[in-house]
Parts: sequence; structure tokens; C-alpha cells
Amino acid sequence: MRKQFGRMWAGIALLLFAFFVIFVVYPLVLVLYRSVLNNDGQFSLDAFAKFFQNRYYWSTLVNSFKVTFIATFVAAALGLPMAYFFRAIEIRGRRWLNILIIISYLSPPFIGAYAWVQLLGRSGFITKILHAIGIPFEGIYGFSGIVLVFSLQSFPLIYMYISGALKNLDHSLIEAAESLGATTFRRMSQVLLPLLAPTLLAGSLLVFMRVFSDFGTPMLIGEGYKTFPVLIYNQFMGEVSTDDHFAAALCVIVLVIALLLFFIQTQLSRRYSYAMSALKPLQPRPAKGLRQFAAYVFIYLVIILAALPQITVIVTSFLETAGGIVYTGRFSLMNYENTLGSKNNRVILNTYLFGVAAILLIVVFGTLIAYLVARKRSKLTQLLDTLSILPYIIPGSVLAISFLYGFSHGTLVLSGTAAIMILALAIRRMPYTIRSTTAIIAQIHPSLEEAALSLGASPRIAFCRVVLPMMLPGIVAGAVMSWITVISELSSSILLYTSRSQTLTVSIYSEVIRSNFGNAAAYSTVLTLTSVLSLLIFFKISGKNDISI
Amino acid sequence: MPVAIEIDQVKKIFGHDTIIDCLSVDIKAGEFFTLLGPSGCGKTTLLRMIMGFNSIEAGEIRVDGNRINETPVNQRNMGLVFQNYAVFPHMSVEENVAFGLKMRKMEASERQARVDDILKLVKIDHLRKRMPNQLSGGQQQRVALARAIVIHPRVLLMDEPLSNLDAKLRVDMRNVIKDIQASIGITTVYVTHDQEEALAISDRIAVMNHGVIQQLATPRHLYQRPANSFVATFIGQSNLIEARLRPTVSAYVLSFDDGYQLEINTLESGLTDQSVLVAVRPEEADVLVNYQPGEAYGVQLKKQVFLGMTSDCFVLHGENELVVVDAEGREFQREQSLGLQFKASKINVFTADGSRSLIRKEA
Repeated sequence: MRKQFGRMWAGIALLLFAFFVIFVVYPLVLVLYRSVLNNDGQFSLDAFAKFFQNRYYWSTLVNSFKVTFIATFVAAALGLPMAYFFRAIEIRGRRWLNILIIISYLSPPFIGAYAWVQLLGRSGFITKILHAIGIPFEGIYGFSGIVLVFSLQSFPLIYMYISGALKNLDHSLIEAAESLGATTFRRMSQVLLPLLAPTLLAGSLLVFMRVFSDFGTPMLIGEGYKTFPVLIYNQFMGEVSTDDHFAAALCVIVLVIALLLFFIQTQLSRRYSYAMSALKPLQPRPAKGLRQFAAYVFIYLVIILAALPQITVIVTSFLETAGGIVYTGRFSLMNYENTLGSKNNRVILNTYLFGVAAILLIVVFGTLIAYLVARKRSKLTQLLDTLSILPYIIPGSVLAISFLYGFSHGTLVLSGTAAIMILALAIRRMPYTIRSTTAIIAQIHPSLEEAALSLGASPRIAFCRVVLPMMLPGIVAGAVMSWITVISELSSSILLYTSRSQTLTVSIYSEVIRSNFGNAAAYSTVLTLTSVLSLLIFFKISGKNDISI
Repeated sequence: MPVAIEIDQVKKIFGHDTIIDCLSVDIKAGEFFTLLGPSGCGKTTLLRMIMGFNSIEAGEIRVDGNRINETPVNQRNMGLVFQNYAVFPHMSVEENVAFGLKMRKMEASERQARVDDILKLVKIDHLRKRMPNQLSGGQQQRVALARAIVIHPRVLLMDEPLSNLDAKLRVDMRNVIKDIQASIGITTVYVTHDQEEALAISDRIAVMNHGVIQQLATPRHLYQRPANSFVATFIGQSNLIEARLRPTVSAYVLSFDDGYQLEINTLESGLTDQSVLVAVRPEEADVLVNYQPGEAYGVQLKKQVFLGMTSDCFVLHGENELVVVDAEGREFQREQSLGLQFKASKINVFTADGSRSLIRKEA
């Protein structure tokens, strides 16, 4: 019986392993293969040579690094003090501010990009005001626009990371430093910062990876300022000329960079991590005078800026437009009629269906993998662990391209189907779920399962009646988070969709590209509303007012 | 009917480490049997081999004469109480206790009756609807105990069940466990590193170290006649003193390095002149203020700790620090010279390496 059960788990592990080999390893190998196989079918490194010899191409990589470094730095500079103020000072409306921060993090960056174009673009709302009072302003495009959008979209992640670390930081550590005669400045620089440094680093690297591989933002607000993901998209999908061979080489380059970053991150977090658990966490205290004023100005200003795109989108969604482009200045539901009301519009249905299907895949596979990795250690499950974390470092566009290489012809043709979209969504999100579920399992002591066995339960019943029910609240909370992330996904969907499998994010993007801002706003509002409602459900389920990533 | 457990030359290997090699022990039907030893001695490993969580690499374990090596855990019908209680946090007290009966597909009415009885027996009847996070450590322990015995297991196994409780509760709970075990007469294997707990609760104790049973005896015998110097120092306190054993016409004489001679007649016969290790418990020496050289073991008082009923004297003989109890409660001067007279009938004598007791079997 025990052996039978062992065989059952081994079978599951093998199936999951096969899944990842087919849908992660195989497509990536094809990309790798294609990158060194020229259009005549010969082995050649000419695509890489072309990239590094041609300034037009390699400058996109330089641009990407510039934008990413600056945006990551700004995000850290905003997120770190924000988290500290929230933990150390009593702030009015903290609950709602916190929710606003989370929403601005959860909304896709490219919506921020297009909203900022509405505000600060060539004919943006604020630009017009500036022109009216005689200030020359050409609109926020290119480098500064990209940095603005990425910084405001990414600081919440740093904020959430640091906030979590501060929660585990014992206030006695600061009091100890104080009792030893350290000044406020020294307490911050010698005690607080070093303790937060590992978290800050981990968060920053995550921001770096997200920003580096984001495609929508530079596409919409970058104009002439091309970044690497834009180059990949254009090479693969561009209307002028597409070059599979070259696009594959670009994918390999970005994969190598992502792999290096991931390696650095794991090394650093292994070396610099402190086990902290606070008996007496930092308590928010009322602040007075200048300190309070400065904190309030900083917090409200940054959060309003971060939430501004969402507000802009919601407001413009109710504005009447002429031909979808020019605002008439009247309010109406016209945009909603044009989008949601139009016939054969499967966009919302698609988004929800794909989202639910992806979540099911993520939850079932994620839970099984996490359990196997945590409790059934073997060579196979270790390999499975590594494989399932791999998508974490694969940029969405690269994953999509690899899918198109793998499943456009041959035995398994999926391109153009809903299945390929769902698989991409599920695989992209799975690593996060596996990690959070592993953490949940780690908190369930093995003796509980053993207790069930000792009382006569079969291993299957012990798993279903004891382990699973204990994991459930965590799994459900994680699923809601996954849901919000999945419905906001763009970078792989944009490459995989067809007119029949169009989703909300894809529609928003295409409406923006067509300058149909009214329709885009209506779609965006639906997306935001869905996210906010899901978030509220998440809070209800988890009984918390916070999320952890 | 209680069943006996025979552990026959079992072997346990983890990776490349042999934790237990060729260990044999017979546990009698209905007895309260304790595995006692320092952490890492293999006691929990052995317990988990009996339960079935650990495989057995060689040898066999028999319950009631039947080999159980290959029997899956859930068919061994043994109750296990865990160190961390392992009470299911998502089930109420009642559901926890009923879990094993449900696994046995027992009819609801009978199940209810059994649960009722056991909850009364462990005195948590009034907590039946509570969830585990509303229970104290002691109450959770009672749930764990009830859950383990309600299935009427053939054997009850307990893995340091009291180590997470505070000192006072520990004493209360060990009496509860002992009483319940006695009332249902179940063969019980109990693992602990707490020697006082083991002495108080057990019918027999196996003292383990490095995967080997050092001694298997009743608590009284273990304390009074330890089989080697490890047991002498692990169970209670023992002062170890080097001496020379000389045979005389009628018995033996222990002669110590300062000329103190002590006649002793509890040793095996036929021993030759040799170096030995003498183990003297704190209460096995009389403290003398005035004594003739050769009549007592000369020491100097280092520190005295007054405990009310007695007082502990920490004394030095050269580098060797000893502890003795002064039953009369006298107050001595610091660095005062004292003489210790050992009680020849009570002290233990081991070979010079401490590995074997030289005391006669019947002594």
C-alpha cells in the first residue's frame, strides 16, 4: 500500500516533469537551436554578430539597461522611505493608501504608460494647461517617460518587500542601538539599513527583471527610444521585415542576461539573509511638526502620482469622444457601448475564461509540485523544482516566441488556440505559486501527516483530510493573487492572440495603438474594477490588509 | 490482552551513518517501558522503527510474536503521541479524537460512545467543541493522548510527550499518563531525555547512548547499581574518583591517592589488583570535620549551597570537584578542610575505563 502510494506520487512527478519538458524545455531548446541555425539551415553565429556589430541593435540593450537601472533606483528611493513611514508613523487613511499602492502595482505598466500620454503627451491634458499658461513642453516621451512609468509602477514592490521585512524587525534592535548611544542617523545607517539591505536587494532585482523584460511601456511611450523587448517584438512581429533567426538570437541574449541576474540574486540572498522574527515589531507612533509634514507630503504625493493613471483611465472612460480619438468634453457611456455593447465581443469572456483555466492549472500543478518538492525528495522532484522555477526568469515575450516555434507546426499545433494562451499564462505565474505554496507546506509539521497515518489513515486520506485542508486558505489566497496577475498579462498574450482569443489587455493595447483612447479606457476600467474586487475578496479571505509576494 | 514487543538485532542506517546496529530488547506485555538517553542517542529512531516511520535495515521487530517489519504504519494499530502533540489544527477536540475511529469505519453511535468515554478519562470532556488554538499546551497533550488511545491500540508509543510543557504541568501530566496507562494496561514505549521523568513513570528503563543500550533495568536498580560510568553520571549525579582496588583475605580494599582506605564487600569475587573508578553519589558520603589521615577522603570546601532540607557542599580534591550532601545542615567555613567517608555498601565501582561495573549481581 505504501509502495503503491509512493508509485502514485512518482507517477504524478513524472507527468509534471513531462509537462515542463514539453512546454518549457522543448520550446526553449528550439529557440536556442534557431538562434545558431541561419536561414540556409547552416550552423552560424551570424545573428549574434549582426546584433553586436550594429549600433542600431545593440543600442537597444544599452537603452534597456539605462532605463532599468534608473527606474529601479528611483523605485527603491521611493519604496524604502514609504515602507518605513508606514510602519513607524501613524498615518491617516493608511488602509486605503495601502490598497492604492497595491492597485497601482497590480495594474499592467503599459496602462500607466498610455495614461501618462493622456496627461503629459503631446496633446495631453496637463500639456495643454502648460501651453495655455505659456510653458513650452513637448510631451513626456522617450527615456523620461519610460522611467516615470516604471518607477511609479515598481516602487510598490519595493514598498511591499521592505514593509514585510520591517514587520519582522524587532523594535528592541533599534532601542538597543539607542541605549548604546547611537544617534537617529546612526541608528538608521548602522542598524536599520544593514538589516533591510538583503530585502532591498532582493526586491530591487525583482524590479530590475520585471522592468527589463517589459515590452508594453517602452512601446507606447518610448517613441524613438527603443528598448530591447521592443526590438524583439519588432523583429518577430514587425510589419516591415521579420527575421526568425535574428529574433531567436535576441531571445537567447535576453535569456542569458535574465539567467545571470537570477544567479546573482540567489547568490546574494543566500549570503546575506538574516533570520528575523519580531517579538515586538515596530509600532506606528504619532509624529509631530516637520517630521509629520514631510512624511505626509511625501506619502500623499507619491501615491497620488502612482494612482493618477488609474484615475485618468476611469475618468476618460466616461468621456464622450468623436471617432474615439477627440474628446468632446461631455460625459457619456459611449465608450462602454462601443466596447462591451458591441456584438461578438468575447474580450471579457475570454479574459475571465482564460484566467480561470490558467488558475486551475496553476493551483493544481503548483500545489502538487510544492508538495512533491517539500515532502517527497528525490532526484526527479529536485529536477522538477528547478524546471518549474525556470519560467520565473523567462520574459513573457520570449516564452511566447518559444511557444510559437514549438507549437506552430508538427505534431502538437496549438498556435492560434485558446490553449496556447492559457498555457503561457499558467506557466508564467506558476513559479510564484510554487514558492508561496512551498512556504505554506513548510509550516505544516510532518508529524501531523504521521499522526493521521498512525491513526490508521492511508497516505492518500492523510493528504486529503489533513494536509490539503490546512493548505487550503493559503492556496485560495494565492489563487486570487495569481488571478489578478494573470488577467493583467500582456507581453506573452500580445504575441499569441488571434482575433478570437483576444483578452482585455490585448484589446487595451490595440485600441491605444489605434489611438482609440476612449475604448481603451473603457476596457482598462473593466480590468481595474475586476482587480480591485478580486483584491477585496483576497483581503476578506486572508483576513489581512496586506499582500506578500 | 496486552502484547509483548521483541526487537531482534535491528539495524538502522541513514545515508552512510549507522545509527543503530544489532540492537535487541524485549518489551514485556503491559509494561511501561522507557527509552532514556541524551539527544542523538537513537531513542526516537528506535521508536519510529517500531511505529513504522523508519525502515528497518536488518533484524526484525515482532509484536505478539508476529514480524511487523513490512506492515504499513496505518495497519500497525499503534497509538503515537508526538513531541509537538500534532493535534490537527483544523479539527475540533472531538473530531481529533474521532479521527482514528472514522478511519476504522466505526459506526457513529459506537464511535460517539468511545469518544465520550475517552474524553472523560483524560478529563477534557468540557472542551470537546473547542478548536486546538483555543487550548493550552497541557490540554492539547490530553487531546493527543486521548486520540492515541481511543483506537484501542495494541501498543502506545510516546515521543517526549512532555518536553514542551512547563515544569509544574510536566509533573501533573506524567502522573496522568502513568495512571491512564496503568488503568488500561497497555504496553507502552516512552521516549525521553529527562531522567527524573523516566524514573518516576517507568516500570523498566533502557538507557541508550550512541545507538547502544547501556543498561536495561528498573528505575531503582538503575539508580543504585548503574552498569557503567555513563549510566552512573547520566542518571542522577555521581562523583567519579580514581582509586586502586586491592584484594584482601576476606574482601577488597579501595585505596585512594591521599591514603584513605575503604573496605568494600559488594564486589564480584576473583578480581585482581587494579585501577578502578569509584562512583559516589552526593548522598553516599558522610562529611567529617575532624578525622584521622587514612580514615576519610580529604577535601577542601569551595562553596556551600543551602537548600533547606539539606545543603550541597561543593568540594575540591586537587583539581577534582565533587558534590556531597550534608544531611545535618551544618555551616562550614570557606576553604575549610573536610573529610569524606564513603558508604561502602552503596557506592559503585567500575573498571578504570568506566565501561563495566565490578559490583556483584545480587548486591
